[in-house]
Amino acid sequence: MAPENAPATATNRLPPTDRATWNPADDQHPAATNRRVRRIGPPSFSLGTIFTGLRTLAQYSDLFYTLSLFRLKVRYKQSVLGWIWAGLQPLALMAIYTFVFSHVAKVNTNGTAYPAFVFCGLLPWIFFSGSIGNAVNGMIAYPTLLTKMYFPREIIPLSYLAAGVVDFVIASVILAGMLMFYRVSLTWNVLYAIPVLIVLGIFAAAIALFFAAVHVRFRDVGLALPFVLQVWMFATPVVYSLQAVPQRIRGLYLLDPVAGAIDMFRGAILYGHSPDPRLLSLTAGLAIPSLLLAYAYFKASEAAMADLV
Amino acid sequence: MIDLSLDRISKRYLIPDASAPRRWYSSLRSHSTEMWALQDVSFQVNEGEALGIVGHNGAGKTTILKLLSGITAPTRGTITIRGRLAALIEVSSGFHPELTGRENVYLYGAMLGMRRSEITRKMDSIVDFSGMEKYIDVAVKRYSSGMYVRLGFAVAAHLEPDIVLLDEVLAVGDVAFQAKCLDRITTLRKSGRTIVFVSHDLASVYRICDRAILLDRGRIVKEGAPRAVIDSYQQLAIPSPDAPELDPDKPAACIGISFFSREPGDVVRTGYPMVARLRYRASVPLCEVAFRISLYWPSGYLCAQLTSETTGKIRNLEAGVGTIEFQCPVLPVVPGLYRVDVELEARGTELDLRQRCATLCVEPGKGASGDFYIDNTWDVRVDTASRESKEKRQA
Repeated sequence: MAPENAPATATNRLPPTDRATWNPADDQHPAATNRRVRRIGPPSFSLGTIFTGLRTLAQYSDLFYTLSLFRLKVRYKQSVLGWIWAGLQPLALMAIYTFVFSHVAKVNTNGTAYPAFVFCGLLPWIFFSGSIGNAVNGMIAYPTLLTKMYFPREIIPLSYLAAGVVDFVIASVILAGMLMFYRVSLTWNVLYAIPVLIVLGIFAAAIALFFAAVHVRFRDVGLALPFVLQVWMFATPVVYSLQAVPQRIRGLYLLDPVAGAIDMFRGAILYGHSPDPRLLSLTAGLAIPSLLLAYAYFKASEAAMADLV
Repeated sequence: MIDLSLDRISKRYLIPDASAPRRWYSSLRSHSTEMWALQDVSFQVNEGEALGIVGHNGAGKTTILKLLSGITAPTRGTITIRGRLAALIEVSSGFHPELTGRENVYLYGAMLGMRRSEITRKMDSIVDFSGMEKYIDVAVKRYSSGMYVRLGFAVAAHLEPDIVLLDEVLAVGDVAFQAKCLDRITTLRKSGRTIVFVSHDLASVYRICDRAILLDRGRIVKEGAPRAVIDSYQQLAIPSPDAPELDPDKPAACIGISFFSREPGDVVRTGYPMVARLRYRASVPLCEVAFRISLYWPSGYLCAQLTSETTGKIRNLEAGVGTIEFQCPVLPVVPGLYRVDVELEARGTELDLRQRCATLCVEPGKGASGDFYIDNTWDVRVDTASRESKEKRQA
């Protein structure tokens, strides 16, 4: 019986935890009086779907948790190095970029060692691009989930995002070791990284939901995505610093929330800067409405996904 | 209380048009044919009622289940659902091959809307129901397809919904497991759950449902008692005699079958006469023909086979359309629903075989328990010797 709906009058039944084994046969359906009524109509794009969508999502919170957990489990199954991969990938990229941008071409880092500098940018970037790439491809990896099962579809891309957060935490351990190695002194301003990452996560969710929804209909998204992300990375201050961007295009440059987030993240970790409030509010002011719009778009196209995939 | 209500539901699918010239933008434009899977379908299901939906493949049955479960949305119309709904459509499609059976129980259970704590509590019972204690911690990619389905149904059977959608779930697993599933459905039914059951298995529809709907090409053509709806379905089951022959190369075909007691339309009862009337069409004269009508139990076991060979009467057929009648003065089969196969043979070669083309419904008649009815008369006779000795004692 839906526990949230079970009437309080069912006193003749033992509380569920007292039962050693659960026998379906001795189950009697309570006369449910306060059942939830749902209406399903043709899909439409409206911001009202955000609220009904979030309410349904809350009911499926356990599925979100289970699926995120299994994303991590499945990813490293039958691999020898397992979880080490979460740290290995940014380390390898760090090595190659260090070679290119501190030995072949010099990048100004304000006096910080380049490996620490680039790792600080790679970490949020890999979280962003990795989550989006996985979410978009994961959306259609198991078409039967879309055609045979019902659950709020946003759980699929969002569970990849949640797994990306865990990978980020693992890689952060390496970052901490690196900061110690390069004797970067930390200040309490490091904590500013948290709101910055939340904003980045919100924007990643927006992009993942939007591209995942489009990907179901047009597979071009999946084909274009690696290329788009590659270009996007060089449009954000990952391998170079924001100061290297010419002043006259910086306003335009910072309209990309990822660029602002990565710069603020690095500033808080490496230099102990508190983020520029104007930049933080601009970034958040772009990311949050993007997520709302992307979610509404996702919910509007959700109903047709089973027909299109 | 009405648990489910469909109000003028239509569902359109767009089928990409393969014949249209393809350009790079074709997928953006509507070079596609419309296909209406459902048109103006309205019905309601009351609380505690079991509704059966029957119809041919492509009649729109699965579309209805997909709409009700929320997998896809209607093109027009509104659906109202009161309470928690569980869809048992192709159980086990939510499994992840890399995860173990136990992990998949959590995953699939959560997809069906169960809480983790609820799953933990029911885990032993689920494993027990599936009968797979030994393999529960093995990755499901090593499972056989039967094991998949058993575990999937075991999870689904432990849901506690208000409304249950069932789609051919009984068609899987071995006989013992099917019986278990049927048991579970009966329990759900008795505990007052609302059930929507979609099936080709007319016997199950007859046994489980209070009411039935017949769908044909996306429209409701009949609604009412299961018996009446199943009858109409059977009239659709074999194309009517004036329908064009599907395969012109076929020299002969069975084109219709009906069962009745004495007059067409009479209910067939155990212990009473039964007539099976079979219509055929032959485009060439045939010799040494044999008609066979096979009756199967719902379990698929052959119950009886009637063959015209035993009579010797029907040997040669002229070209044309005609009727064969099988007459049985006393029907020995017990009440129930039987699936019917019809077969036409000439000189030992099969000309036409229609499997499960009809259903014979036998109503209770003369009392019979056991496997079949034996026509009988009873007589009583008291021994004269014992009567004499009794009189002597009294004297």
